[in-house]
This record gives sequence, C-alpha cells and structure tokens, in this order.
Amino acid sequence: MYLGPPPRSSLLLALLVSTPLLADDLFLDNQPLPQVLTATRLKQSAAAVPGSMTVIDSELIKASGARDIAELLRLVPGMMVGYTSGNQAAVNYHGTNASEARRMQVLIDGRSVYRAGLATVDWSDIPVAMEDIERIEVFRGPNTVSYGANSLMAVVNILTRSPANSLGTRMKMTRGERGINDWYASQGLGWDTGNLRLSLSGQQDDGFDSDRVGADYRDSRRLNRFSLKVSQTLDQQQSIDWQINAKEGTNQRPYTYKPVFAGITDGGNDSDVSAKDYAASLRWNFDFNPDHSLYVQGSAQQWDRRQVWTACDAKVSFSPELTQLWQMNPNYAEKLARHMKDYENGRPPQGSAAEQALAEEVLKQWNNGGKESVCGNIDQSTKESRYDLEVQDTLSLSDSLRLVSGMNYRYDRADSDTYFNGRLDDTTWRLFGHLEWRASEHWLLQGGAMYENTDLSGNSLTPRVAVNYLINPRHGLRAVYSEAIRSPDMFENNVNWSYKVTNLSSPTYGQNVGQYFVKTRGPGDLDKELMRSRELGYNGFFADIGLNVDVKLFYDEITGMISEPLRNNQYIASNSNSSRFTGTETQLDWHLSTADRLRLTYAYVDADASNPLDRQQTARNSGSAGWMREWGRGWSSALFYYGNDALNQYRFERVDMRVAKRIALGKANLELAGMLQQRLDHQPTTQLDNNYDQRHVLYFSAELEF
Amino acid sequence: MNPAQSRMSALFGARFWRRCLLLASLALAMPAWSAEILLTAAEDGPGVQAFAQALREQRPADSVTFKALPDMPAPGQLPGNTRLILLDLPSLDWRLQDTQGPATLVLRISRLQARERLGNHVPAKISLLWSDPPVDRQLRLIANILPQARRIGVLYGSDSEFLLPELRQHAAALGLEIVAQHWDNINDSRPLLSLFKNSDVLLGLDDPQLYNPKTVKNLLLSSYARQLPLIGPNAGFVRAGSLASTYSDQADWLNVLDRLLDRPQAGWPRSLYPDHFKVVGNPQVARSLGIEQVDETAVATRLAEGEKHP
Repeated sequence: MYLGPPPRSSLLLALLVSTPLLADDLFLDNQPLPQVLTATRLKQSAAAVPGSMTVIDSELIKASGARDIAELLRLVPGMMVGYTSGNQAAVNYHGTNASEARRMQVLIDGRSVYRAGLATVDWSDIPVAMEDIERIEVFRGPNTVSYGANSLMAVVNILTRSPANSLGTRMKMTRGERGINDWYASQGLGWDTGNLRLSLSGQQDDGFDSDRVGADYRDSRRLNRFSLKVSQTLDQQQSIDWQINAKEGTNQRPYTYKPVFAGITDGGNDSDVSAKDYAASLRWNFDFNPDHSLYVQGSAQQWDRRQVWTACDAKVSFSPELTQLWQMNPNYAEKLARHMKDYENGRPPQGSAAEQALAEEVLKQWNNGGKESVCGNIDQSTKESRYDLEVQDTLSLSDSLRLVSGMNYRYDRADSDTYFNGRLDDTTWRLFGHLEWRASEHWLLQGGAMYENTDLSGNSLTPRVAVNYLINPRHGLRAVYSEAIRSPDMFENNVNWSYKVTNLSSPTYGQNVGQYFVKTRGPGDLDKELMRSRELGYNGFFADIGLNVDVKLFYDEITGMISEPLRNNQYIASNSNSSRFTGTETQLDWHLSTADRLRLTYAYVDADASNPLDRQQTARNSGSAGWMREWGRGWSSALFYYGNDALNQYRFERVDMRVAKRIALGKANLELAGMLQQRLDHQPTTQLDNNYDQRHVLYFSAELEF
Repeated sequence: MNPAQSRMSALFGARFWRRCLLLASLALAMPAWSAEILLTAAEDGPGVQAFAQALREQRPADSVTFKALPDMPAPGQLPGNTRLILLDLPSLDWRLQDTQGPATLVLRISRLQARERLGNHVPAKISLLWSDPPVDRQLRLIANILPQARRIGVLYGSDSEFLLPELRQHAAALGLEIVAQHWDNINDSRPLLSLFKNSDVLLGLDDPQLYNPKTVKNLLLSSYARQLPLIGPNAGFVRAGSLASTYSDQADWLNVLDRLLDRPQAGWPRSLYPDHFKVVGNPQVARSLGIEQVDETAVATRLAEGEKHP
C-alpha cells in the first residue's frame, strides 16, 4: 500500500468548471471511457513522498545481473547486505545484529514474508523468481502506519510483474562457476477479462568455498519454485487478483554441534535444512467511484523447515538430575558439565546444598557409564503458518484531502518441538489511518497512526507525521517524524527451547529417547521495541538533464531494544538495550542520454549501541556506483561497483560487469549475457567462514522470449 | 391569339415583373451571403439540436434547418446553392452516392475514417473538416508542456500507419524523434512495454482500434507505472487519465463554420483542421507525475500564436 496525492473532489467537475466541455457537445468524443487514473490510484510524485524511497526498476534488476533479491538491495543506500552463510543472506537497513535481521518489513505484492515464529526473512527461500519481479520499492525509514509492524527500520516492497504484462513464453538458463545452475520458464495467457502467468524456476549454487580453516564450507543450496498469478476483471468496478506460490529446496548447513562433555569424538556430518514455503493470496478490489476505493486481501502462508541431524554426547546429557540442576542454576550446571573430568574423582563445585546434592548424583552417573558416547537424532524442524486479512479503504475527501484507513487481522502459529515444545500462536489486530492534506501548491502535510493489539505483547499506538515543501512539482524538501514499534517475536519472548533426542544409539537411562539437559525459556514479558526516527530530506528531478537526486539526513533511536542473541544456553532476553543511528544518505540516478544511465548511492552511518553486537552490521561508509549503456545493434553493458568499509569488521568491494547481446529470431528474442563479478578486497564476506577460493566468478545466461 | 390569352399574358407579365422587383428588393435588403444552410445526420438528438440552434444563433440571417437523413432527397435534387453540412458518417455515405449536388461541409470525421471510406481521394464538392486533433498541434503541445521530452512514443495500427510520415515530418521540424510501434493485437501488451522503454512521452493517435474503452485501462495503468505521460488522443482520454490534449468543441467549430460560410462555396478547402481549439489538462495526473499544471488558456494561446503564418 502506498499513498498517492490528495486529489480533486471530481475531475469531471473540475473539467466542467474550468473548460466548456459540455456533456451534450456534439464535437466531444462521447465514447463512455472509464476514469482510470483516479484520485485513489494516483501516487505521490517523488518530491512529495513523505519519506525516503528507492525504486529498483526492471532495467536495473536486469542490468545488475543479480541472482538474489538480497544482492539487489546493495543498490539501496544505507542497506547493509551481508551473509551468515552462502544460502543465508543477512540484510539490515543501517544495522543492528549481524546474525538476525528482524527489524525490516519485507512484502511481496502486499504480503509479508517475514517468518511468523522465528521473525527472520529467509531471503533465499522467498518463493519468487528474480525474473518475475517488476520492481522493488524500498521505503527507507520506519513506517508501521502504512506497512504494519516490523516496518521498524525499512520496508522492502517487492512487486511482481502483472499477468497482463507477462504474455507469451520466456525461458532462461544460467550456468557458471561456483556451481551456478539456474533456470526459469514462464507462460502468460490472456482472455477477454483476465490474464494469468505461470512460472517455474530453479536455482542452485555451491555457496562459499571454504571456512576459516580452509576446509570445504557446507552451504550450497538447491531449490525449485512454482508461481501462478491471475488477475480477473469482474466488471467496471471490481477485479480480483490471486496468486499461489510454492518453493521447495535444500539449504546445506555445516555441522556445528560441539559436545558439551569432554572425550566425545563421534558426530554427524551436516545439519542441512529442507525448506518448503507455500503462500496463497486473494485480493478483491472495488471502486465505488473515482474518489473512493477499497480492497480486501486475504493470504495464507506456511514455512516448513525440516532439520534433523545427528548429535553425539555423553549419556549423562540426558540425566534427569542434570536437567534439574540446569533449571536450578544454569551457570552451575554448565560449570559442572564442562569440567566433569576435574570433578569425577572428587567433590562437585561449590554451590548450595541442593545443587551439590544433585551434582553428586550426576557425577555418580558419569562414573557408572554416563561418560559413554551416545548418538541420536535431533529434530530442529519448525512449521510456521500465518493467516492475514486486510481491508483498506482509500477515500478522496476533497480536492486536497485524502484518507487511507483500514484494519488488519493476523493469526500466526508456530509448531516446533525444539523451540516451543509444541505449538504457540498469536493473534494481532491493527487499525490504521493516514491523512494527506495538500494545504497549498507548495505545502503538503501527511500524518497517521496505527493501533496494534497482540495477544502475546499487548497494545501500542504509533504516530507518524511528515511535512513536504514543494519548491515546484519536481523539487521537494521534507521533514519527517515517525515512531514505530516492533513486537518481540514468539521466539524472543516465548521460546521454550530444549532438544529431544530420538533414535539413541544405545539405551540411555533405560530409554531410546532422551531430553537434553539444557533448556531455555523466553522471559514471556518482553515489551515492544520503540523506534523514533527524525529525517530531513530533499528530492529533486532536473528534467532538462534527466537527473534525479535524493538526499537525507537522519537521526534514529531504538529504545527497549532486545539485543541478546538467540542462544540455547543462557538466553536472557530483556528490553535493556538501545541504539542510535545518525548519518546521511544520497542517491543519484542520471539518464545522461538515451543510451547512458549513471547511478550512484552513498551512505554515511554512525552507529552507537549499548550492546556491541548491534554495531556489527553497520558499515560507516557504503555505497554503489553503476553505469549502464546501450551500444546499439542489440549490445548492452552494465558496470557496477559495490563497497562498504566494514560490515561485521570485514571490508567488501566488488565490481560487477554484465555484457549482453539481444538477437531477434523472427518473432522471438534471444538474449545472451555474460556476467563477471570481481572482488577487489581479500576479506571474508561478513563472517570468518565465508570465503571464496577465487576472487572472481563468471556466469552466463541465455534467455528466449516469444 | 384570343383576347383572353392576351390578357393572361399581360397579367402574367405584370406579375412576373412585380415578383422580380420584390426579389430584387429583398436581395438588396439582405446581405449578399444570406444562405440556405441544411444540416443532416442519420440520427437526431439533443446534441444535434443544440448545435443546429447554436448555428442559427450564430448566423441569424441564414436559414438553418436540420433534416434527418431518411427525409432527405438524393443529393443531386438539392438546390445547388444550398450549403449542406453533414454531421455523421452515414450522411457522408448518402452524399457520396451522387456526384451531383451542392458543395458540402463534412463535420465529425477523422483522418482515419476518411481514409477508410475515401482512400486518398477527396471527391469534388466535399470539404472534410477533421475531428481528430492535428498531430502537429499535439506535438507542439508536448513541446510546450514537456520541453524535455525528445522521444515521442507512438502506437499505430494498420489503420493509422498512414499518419506516420506526416508525424515524423512535423516532429523533425520541432527537433523531436518519433518512436513508432506497431500494435496489432490489443490483447498483447508486449509492444507497449517495449515502446515505453524507449519513449519520454506517448502521443495517442485518434485510432479507435487502439484507443477505446477496452484498452484504456491497460494503456493508462501500464504507462503510468513507468511514469510516462500520455498526450491525447482526444479530450475524453484526458478525463480517463491522459495528461493533456488539444480539442475543438462546439464553440470552436461554430467559429470555424462562421468563417467558411461567409466564403463562396467555391473557396472552401478540400480538407481542414479547425484553427479554433482549446487545451485540456488533467491536474491530478500532472501532480502525480511531477509536472507543472497545464495552464489551459495560456498554452492554447501559445499554440495558436505558433500556428499564425504571415
């Protein structure tokens, strides 16, 4: 949802008044044409947008040669794109924790793909092919009023191509180094009142090559996707759009389990994840009249992550007494467990009488076979579901006043034996309203508020207000104040984390199944994080030279921040942290000629956080530079530079070059493209384990359209 | 000759001369251009009646009558000095059945319709007064309100293709480039998308095969999605969401007719675009595209000044 300009009460009336266009004038075309670009459909001009916006259009998407949405976001100033592993992108706007990116809203055609339970975005698992994306609109700043909770730092709104614009057949193959093997096929059909697009695609690569010690890094991926999108006009006033998306695939994960108890050498090979995503949505659009429209959108999503791996540890791991001890005092239990050899022939560590009594018991078990190795399966699988229903009404109250209001109901459910000891659910209600008032030709005032109630974390109200001063229609200054909240997710607040190990290799405590002694519970009373953002900006389009410039200064503060990393030993979450981001961003898009386009982005971000982890994902200086050119005779090229001085302490600099040739084959079109990515630095990518053997990668694609 | 006959002849002669005198005095009393103006159309309606009435008011000295097409005799049977004005295409078909007949002004006919019916040949005694906005005027409208636009995207069909050479010629004179795209299947929007990529603005040709109630939504929404303004093809489209267009309404046509009717029929042009016109803009669309509001009167005045040839 995005908000357009305050429109005239009735264009027809305006025309009638301003010009002598008479209804029964014999000489005016009396063809009954519907009003298409109505007050409710038109958007704000770039200079009048109440915030900072970056649009990645289809030309940029293609020229970038990017295979992933996360890579495209490098084109957004202030966006910090990193990787946890080859198949786990970690994208943050301005920063915060490197391993979890939970403060950004990500929408696909209006549907949030933020995982319901674990509050992350699995960029690689989003069931959308790059080839189906029409454009990506990134709202740089908090905007819960327009985009809902989690729109704390930015909103990434991914819009797929409309079926009406997808007619015909498209086939694409991509092959290259690092095991790159992608394919895409789509078919678009149209009939009198509607259109559909069916697309199938797949993606495969090896991820990073080697970990910190030079060993092969297990982070490749393989996936297949299905997508069906249909739009249907019912009559002059009504239309429906629906889509179904599905994705299946495997993401490799290295085996990271380290036995707690000394002397255990057995272990598994991997903890790979089989990831399936399903989504379906239906939207009904109704235009009451040119000044009033409404839509109702319902969606259902499911995220299935199947992750079963083998863990080996000492049999005493399943001791009921050790479990009891952990619940009594995790520090004491951990001290004992990690140093059993030191205590096995003597007294347990100092502690309370009860602790020592339990420890004595554990040591006894240790000495009576408890130190033997046992292996079993750990099922860390999760199944998350979300059902969402939204009603949004756009009403043009007058020539200069427009109101967008609506409500949203969301039901989230997470099933996981490991994380939630079963099932957890949450219900969210939201009411929102946004008013746009064009006070004069130059002044535009926009403001709104959102009220949210969730079962698990209560009520909140967040306001937002923006003033735009338009020097002329193409140049505008803006001042924005907004607040946004992030409700703690189920994982942070309500985790009930313990490992149940099945298929034990030898009976332990008389069972083939055991409950691992470490248990972690979320506090259950976490409060919401609050973001206060202040922004001053300028957006201008110099039409005579084709130059678009946007500059912004920002001062953002997050308080009540939940910064503790999600760990299963000693996870003590609180709202005790805070961070502050200040700086400036600029983007420049310059159509030098009909053949050349230059694009530059730069961000200077100063991060200050009470928890050092929240400073990791901020590069003080970051940016991109691109030059796209059409050479004629079907040849085109694109050259991009991406750089940041330190993301999680590692520098990143890369140059991408894409050269393509279009060849007309009768009515069909063939495009052959070569893509070279060359790293300019010698550093790992975001994490110490993310290393490539070669600093460059080469891949080629062939795309046929007819 | 018998006396009765002779008396009759004398009587007839006197009556004849008296009538001549009366006619002569009437002729002297009335302006020289006083004329019989006959309007016709296949269908009568409030629009037609309002126009006939307005023409009467515009030319009080003339006799303005409207006769529906079924009531009309064959064109050749009309008096030669009748000023015949046709208001629709069926009436043109009726007029074309007869090479004889009075000189005729044909209103409400577009270039495309004329070509479809007449080819390149305009029959004698027919003056075609074009209803579609002239392409050079539309191009100059673009140059006026979007001075940065260089590449003018134009969709054409097999019916409107013949306009392209003329369009290119006018565009070249203004330093503009025409990017033409054939659109033969309105259910396939791929040609639109490829045109949008290479254009700064779209100019709509008044071709009902391409611009009609069925295509209007897709055309306007997909061009707007790429922030491309559409100019034309007519005033009706501006209300639907096109940025601006020139057009001539009844008042303009009355002015044009007024001048033509003052002239002897022999001096009527074979075809003509009205030199009276207006400009209409869509302020909401302009605002959303970040374009200055179209000052309709000022732009129309500037365009009209540009059309004055010494």
